[in-house]
Amino acid sequence: MDISSPAVFVNGELLKMHTGRRVRSVVQVVRVDTGGFVAQTSDGLQLSVKATTVDPLSKFVEVIGVAEGNQTIRAEMCTNFGDAFDMASYNQLCQLANSEHNSLFI
Amino acid sequence: MFQSQFDGASLFSGGGFMPPSDSTQSSEPSPSSSRNRGNSTLIPMTVKQISQVLSDDNSSAGVEALESNNVRLVGMVANKVERVTDVQFILDDGTGRIDVHRWVNDATDSNEMAIVKNGIYVRVIGHLKSFQGKKHATAFSVRPITDFNEITCHFLECIYVHLSNTKQMGGSPQPQKSSVTTALGNGPMGNSTPAKHIQFTGHPALVGSEDDINTRVKKVFMEPDALKNDEGLHVDEVAQRLPGISKQRIMKAIDFLVGEGEIYSTINDYYYKAAATM
Repeated sequence: MDISSPAVFVNGELLKMHTGRRVRSVVQVVRVDTGGFVAQTSDGLQLSVKATTVDPLSKFVEVIGVAEGNQTIRAEMCTNFGDAFDMASYNQLCQLANSEHNSLFI
Repeated sequence: MFQSQFDGASLFSGGGFMPPSDSTQSSEPSPSSSRNRGNSTLIPMTVKQISQVLSDDNSSAGVEALESNNVRLVGMVANKVERVTDVQFILDDGTGRIDVHRWVNDATDSNEMAIVKNGIYVRVIGHLKSFQGKKHATAFSVRPITDFNEITCHFLECIYVHLSNTKQMGGSPQPQKSSVTTALGNGPMGNSTPAKHIQFTGHPALVGSEDDINTRVKKVFMEPDALKNDEGLHVDEVAQRLPGISKQRIMKAIDFLVGEGEIYSTINDYYYKAAATM
């Protein structure tokens, strides 16, 4: 068992608290750019994702990677989460996982 | 009413999420209790939680509870290795990584494991085992996740069950609980508690229609203590349990229920028993 490199659930606001660390966030893809894509987080903020290979993306994508700044994630992995995903519940999960219950996650 | 339905016991005991309190708190290492699968329940957990329980030296009871209960983990598959008898992989749920073994006994098992590939999300049901000093999970079921909301739901349930288990120790204040229930929403998980209102509805003002009385008399016969008696219940006992309804009306309801085949007379005309147990 290895808990040395967890990836924290984040939304756009919480990303700022985790600069330099591994994070995971489900985002809605806005447009694909060179070297990545632009996305909207579960709390409605804009995020740029740096990814080397961009496969065909579904509407919602989970990005696991390192937080490079307030609005940038360098992706290690992008997983398609389909076209129907409840962002409101996910946003609440992000908040719970970063508040009093963070001992369960990081 | 909504809050009380979301009480941990009623929400999860039916589905088997919550460990019965006696099995979690049990400190005696009796082999029979740990092997008793009847007591084992399914707890949604994160890998971080498991490692916390295991690293806490003082919690031998916790480790035992963990090993006697089944756990549900949700995460991503990595380093899958297939062998003749088993499949091994690392499950990464974002809070940590844990080795998972799945024994492959027949074609059903190998078909199930064939669709599990590196990089996909799966739901693992299994339990924890030690082998050569290393902890790993032995899975009974590994299923790919098709609706990704299940990931959100799983982690919310981890928080909820954790809160529900720590609440008895005076842990969590109310607002946390309500925030989780809001996030869980009005899902299909709200097991309602069995109606136990018979004792409280005896007020004359609440006496309802003929149908209503028939139903209530039938409910009395369906009470567990009435069912376990071979001779069933005496008419007077039924009347006692339904204060506010006259004996005549109860007799009428009993006649009706006998006619319907719901109950039958046992040792004499005053004792009746329910024909079906459910």
